[in-house]
Amino acid sequence: MKKSTPAGYTSHLGVENREQFEFLLPILEQFNHQKDALLELLRTTQDVFGYLPGDALQFISEQLHIPLSKVYGVATFYDMFSIEKQGKNHCVICTDPICAVAGAEEILRMSCEEAGIDQPDQTSPDELYSIKPSACLGLCDQAPAALVNGIAQVDLNASDSERLLHGRSANSRLQINGEPRILTKLIGRIPATDLVAHLSEGRFKALDKALAEMTPEEVIGEVNASKLVGRGGAGFPTGLKWEFTRQAAENHKYVVCNLDESEPGTFKDRVMVEGDPYRIIEGLMISAYAIGAKKGYIFVRGEYPAATAILHKAVDKLYATHYLGKNILRTDFSFDLEIRRGAGAYICGEETALFEAIEGSRGHPRIKPPYPTTHGLFGKPTAINNVETLAIVPELILNGGKWYLNWGTKDSIGIKLFCLSGHVNRPGVVEVPFGLTVRELIERYAGGFLGEPQAILIGGASGGFLHPDKLDTPLTNEALKPLDVPIGSGAIMVFNKTVNLWKVLKGFAHFFVNETCGRCVPCRVGTTQMLSILNKIDNQSGTGNDLEKLKEIGTFMKRSSVCGLGMTAANPTLTMLAQIYSQEDAFM
Amino acid sequence: MIKVNIDDQSSEVEPGTTVMEASRKLGIEIPHLCYFPGLSISGNCRLCVVEIDGRPNPSISCETQCQDDMVIRTQSAELFQMRRHIIDLFLAEHPLDCVTCEKAGSCLLQKYAYIYGLKETSYEFNHPRTLYQDDNPFFIRDHQYCILCGRCVRVCDEIVGANAIDFVGRGPGSHIGTPFDRPLRDSTCVFCGNCVQVCPTAALMPVSRNGKGREWDLERIETICGYCGVGCQIEYATRDGKIIYAQSRSDAPVNGDYLCTKGRFGWDFATSPERLTIPLVRRDLAYEMGLTSTSWKISEQSPLKIEKPDLHDSYIEVGWDTALDLVAEKLADIVRASGADVVMGLASARCTNEENYLFQKFLRAGIGTNNIDHCARL
Repeated sequence: MKKSTPAGYTSHLGVENREQFEFLLPILEQFNHQKDALLELLRTTQDVFGYLPGDALQFISEQLHIPLSKVYGVATFYDMFSIEKQGKNHCVICTDPICAVAGAEEILRMSCEEAGIDQPDQTSPDELYSIKPSACLGLCDQAPAALVNGIAQVDLNASDSERLLHGRSANSRLQINGEPRILTKLIGRIPATDLVAHLSEGRFKALDKALAEMTPEEVIGEVNASKLVGRGGAGFPTGLKWEFTRQAAENHKYVVCNLDESEPGTFKDRVMVEGDPYRIIEGLMISAYAIGAKKGYIFVRGEYPAATAILHKAVDKLYATHYLGKNILRTDFSFDLEIRRGAGAYICGEETALFEAIEGSRGHPRIKPPYPTTHGLFGKPTAINNVETLAIVPELILNGGKWYLNWGTKDSIGIKLFCLSGHVNRPGVVEVPFGLTVRELIERYAGGFLGEPQAILIGGASGGFLHPDKLDTPLTNEALKPLDVPIGSGAIMVFNKTVNLWKVLKGFAHFFVNETCGRCVPCRVGTTQMLSILNKIDNQSGTGNDLEKLKEIGTFMKRSSVCGLGMTAANPTLTMLAQIYSQEDAFM
Repeated sequence: MIKVNIDDQSSEVEPGTTVMEASRKLGIEIPHLCYFPGLSISGNCRLCVVEIDGRPNPSISCETQCQDDMVIRTQSAELFQMRRHIIDLFLAEHPLDCVTCEKAGSCLLQKYAYIYGLKETSYEFNHPRTLYQDDNPFFIRDHQYCILCGRCVRVCDEIVGANAIDFVGRGPGSHIGTPFDRPLRDSTCVFCGNCVQVCPTAALMPVSRNGKGREWDLERIETICGYCGVGCQIEYATRDGKIIYAQSRSDAPVNGDYLCTKGRFGWDFATSPERLTIPLVRRDLAYEMGLTSTSWKISEQSPLKIEKPDLHDSYIEVGWDTALDLVAEKLADIVRASGADVVMGLASARCTNEENYLFQKFLRAGIGTNNIDHCARL
């Protein structure tokens, strides 16, 4: 592909053939020509043309009154947009460590060969195929995986070129295990968007109870009593977050559900939403009632087209049956819900970057304080919660907050969804109370280890490595904290002895280089330097000084980065050096 | 008012004042690269960290607002190490071309590398940005020196309103660019060069500086811009009587840090040989007045065919007194012969308010007519 002239760009003075962009007009209407339409307009343009023609950007810039430079800045920030022409078939292959150990590299190579492409990230000369390596697609339980023309293709093998290049109907499954099955009770048992079936299973009873019998303060009281903490990874007390947002002196408030699940190895939120969307929406509505918000957003990761479709279907049904809109359940409570699609950026899982994405900007995290509870989406007080957090909320209302204390341990209360992937026999989501050991979890619910485990990564790419000696460590914050291993999003990736862990580390370092927004220096330069040192070690040209440098830069990033991405990017490397590898191992 | 204590100095500041602003008021300089007074806060360089009592981690002072009884330290061994580490990281992306760089001496990165004692980066050097764009006659964009502080983007958005540039791409590979990275002339850039003014490194440099000397070779001359009545203060950097580049100064009362494209880049008239520096009188008039012995040379050729008549063929140089006397005499003749209302004055937008006031006074009180207008009204 030639790079110099942008495809489809005719003039900086005006757009020719405006009629070709008429399909954008309904979206503009829907968003009332507001600037936050930008991401959706770009996504739709990308879907229609397969890339973003220069004239389309100019057209959007004129319609939204956003400078072209800003539109271009946004278009180049997100992975799912391309400025250059793409092939007719668009194949995105996950190359993050779990898929990589399952053979993604080979699949990438084979598919490139099959399509007649020299190197990944290119388009074939006949313009039929574009093949792109990608960060984790949240399909780690069915690795290796790819998104072909927006359809998830899982359990791939290199000989399956037809499916890889042209895609077929989705073949992904929802794999769930565990005990007790509270959050995941209905998943797989009844159709995800069948509202009648869900209502007969008691859906929206909690909302009914909250609206009819409880004041917002009482709702927050129950959540506080449950000691529920956020399940996205940071672990902030949910009730406290709601309380702060409720107390913020401002009439307009928002609730946001964070479904930008991009942490490598994490797929629980996708499973929850694809299996039981109404539970999440009910939780979000209760949170809206509690903080006094009339409008909510669910921000769905761009790489989750199936979940997006299910949510749209669910929301349409709820509007049709007046579960959304004005005077819900014949009370004074009114609530509107919008589904927003991301466009491929790990950083947008960070709450303030997510706000920026909804508002139609580059996903740069904001400096905190001020926190979202006072200055969130559109500058208004916002309660933003992870899918799993919201999924628990209806149970807290129905059973009372104290009921939740029955689960888990003293310092790690409740039930958690873990995402098991890698070298285990039955990967998938596991719902268990906190307190089981890593070994118990894997042997009981994941069919045991596949091969001899070499290292277990807990918490995803920003988590930490656990040595197989420590398999009997309970999965609780108090037990893992001394080992510097966060439970985080609940991803548990198992690597057996066939895996070269330096390659895994390199994979994560590469992931962070790709995903850092590049704004603050510690993270931008730090991730680059970590990758280059790991490359050196992998090429057998490392020295003892390099290990010191790795530790030094990792510790520094932790301390001085703007947001959680930079603060945690070095975690796998630091814990690997602390727990798994001694210096001699590194240079073997 | 809020009471704060910075480096053992007490101060009272307005609510909403940041620690950086409060420190500056006390004359305490906190190192910074992305912060620029008057622009929005980006907080990306992390260099302005300070210690605040009661906070476990250092906070960036450009963003942190003062709170009552805050105790702040801007210097400590730990802060020194932190800042040193940050400069270390910056240098891993910034070529150390200081020996030939024209920004040397006023480059902020160089200044901090000196302060924190860094000869070079302790990391592996890499070149994430290599674009070199000299697509306009005014300034050069050399991306290898860019540290992505974003000052240029913010000045373009917030002060100038041209919105010509933004961050392009993501992560280490991102750079500052126009839409589609097309030449600046195809963007909404107005070439005011305020981005050049705020750039802390040599990423944005005036073309006119190319090979014309280093900061310490240049003399500074302060003056007022002659282009319009605003009265912007300009500082010319000159060498051997020649202007090398123009810049504004943050203490300039009217324009602060900013200039327009004429003030910043349109100064070549100042030393142009074609510039009029003394009054001229038409040669035929001068001959009548006895100021010269040679009269108007009437060319035998059609005036259209004369390529470029020499100014001195048709004019002679005179002193100011002679010139003004001549104008006064001629004007008085006209008023005496035909009355004051045949005279009209058209004032200029390039003059100051005071000059324009004097001009109308001259016409009304001196000439005696109300025929006065101003070009900015047209």
